[in-house]
Amino acid sequence: MEVLRNPYEVLGLQEGATEEEIKKAYRDMVKKYHPDQYANNPLSDLAGEKLREINEAYEILIKKKSTGGFRGYHKDNYNRGGTSESNGTLSQARNYINLGDLRAAEELLNNTTNRPAEWHYLKGLIFLKRGWYNEALMQIQTAVSMEPHNYEYRQTLNRMNSSTQNYRQSSYGRGYMREPDLCTICQCLWCTDCLCNCLGGC
Amino acid sequence: MFGYIRPEKPELKIKEYDEFRAFYCGICKSIAKNSGQIARLTLSYDATFLALLFSSVSNTAPEKRVERCVVHPVQKRNIYKNDKAIDYAADVNIILMYHSLLDKWKDEKLVLSIAGTAALSRKYNKLTKKYPFLCDIIEKKLKKLSKLEEEKCSSVDQAAEPFAQMMAEIMEFCPVIEDEKTKKVLRWLGYNIGKWVYIIDAFDDIEKDLIDKSYNPLLYQYEYHSEKVCEFKNRIRNDVEFILIYSLNEIGKAYELLEVKRNKDLIENIVFMGMLRQTEIILSGEKRAKVKQSRTVN
Repeated sequence: MEVLRNPYEVLGLQEGATEEEIKKAYRDMVKKYHPDQYANNPLSDLAGEKLREINEAYEILIKKKSTGGFRGYHKDNYNRGGTSESNGTLSQARNYINLGDLRAAEELLNNTTNRPAEWHYLKGLIFLKRGWYNEALMQIQTAVSMEPHNYEYRQTLNRMNSSTQNYRQSSYGRGYMREPDLCTICQCLWCTDCLCNCLGGC
Repeated sequence: MFGYIRPEKPELKIKEYDEFRAFYCGICKSIAKNSGQIARLTLSYDATFLALLFSSVSNTAPEKRVERCVVHPVQKRNIYKNDKAIDYAADVNIILMYHSLLDKWKDEKLVLSIAGTAALSRKYNKLTKKYPFLCDIIEKKLKKLSKLEEEKCSSVDQAAEPFAQMMAEIMEFCPVIEDEKTKKVLRWLGYNIGKWVYIIDAFDDIEKDLIDKSYNPLLYQYEYHSEKVCEFKNRIRNDVEFILIYSLNEIGKAYELLEVKRNKDLIENIVFMGMLRQTEIILSGEKRAKVKQSRTVN
């Protein structure tokens, strides 16, 4: 066990922060390290650890401020499980993936000739965890096109697409903004001018 | 390396800019001291980022001094010195530069590159003794990369793999970091940096590789058929953008798990803004000359 860190430090706060500040910092941190953000990521265990640390720190601080009223953050249970009709090899491969043994999972998959949508999906997950994003996208797209109604496949595909959006948002949030180009400015001026004319002004 | 990893200058505070320059000058001086004056010319922004990152996650802060140097003889500048993290980044810079020059000589037979290789070879031999394990891994990965190039590999992910793994090893191997958790995070961060650098460089080099008839994984994966270059780029832009931004997102997530002790704003500027800006510049095909203009930190 590690030495318990100062809970204020864990939440990135100055000592003596108000309850509001603690709650805000906590919400932001949970968003940042949420299991959704680290799904299919090799660092997900570390993110989980971090989240636990944040929860503990929050609990300590909030208890100190006021008793009761605390609602702990419950980590989502990410055990999605296989689809019921999946055959033995595929569910075994899925187990290997969950355990982090990508090589064994891949070997199993490569040795089967029966390749339903789930096969492509699992292959995609392996690529994703390994960092082969392009191959992963192609496999998961194939899985979705073969079984368009499967929620799990669609969700993974959506998450992949939205994670690129997340990065952009965090970038724009840091003040990274494109200034309006001349064309936009002209257009705005022109529109305002037209409106003014309509109203019979200038 | 390539110089794609750089801060977004308009968003930097003056103090952050000064910090970055102190690292840049520090690594430049470290190269001069350990590898000689000629080796100094090989310094890139990428190595500066490595120095900054390693130094900021290590426990000891580097020592700051005010000094003059050959390149800026008049005005004294802040320089970080005697730091293990900076020295390591400087050594990595020399190792990679040596291999890149050797590779250029094999491919293009440029006289300048063999002269550079000759100038660096003695330093490189010294470094193979200092880091026998790391140098061995780097050589193996680069051999694998050139083998994939010879085979005209048609998967971008596969072609990028040796380079990405090499960066992962370089990150993990950093001598100032002992904590296993940090090593694991740095490894993934390095993997994704390597992937991003390799692929952005491939996209940037499409025109050049078509003229030189050299290998480029994008030309093979997306089956280039004598169409106009800009049409080809338009066709593949979305796919390439996906891989690049996805890698950046992974870099950002790995970064959030690091315990960064100093220079947070500066590193975040590079990771969340500078690298995105570079991605946009290269993808949109804005003149490369513009990038080169702002190459020096002055």
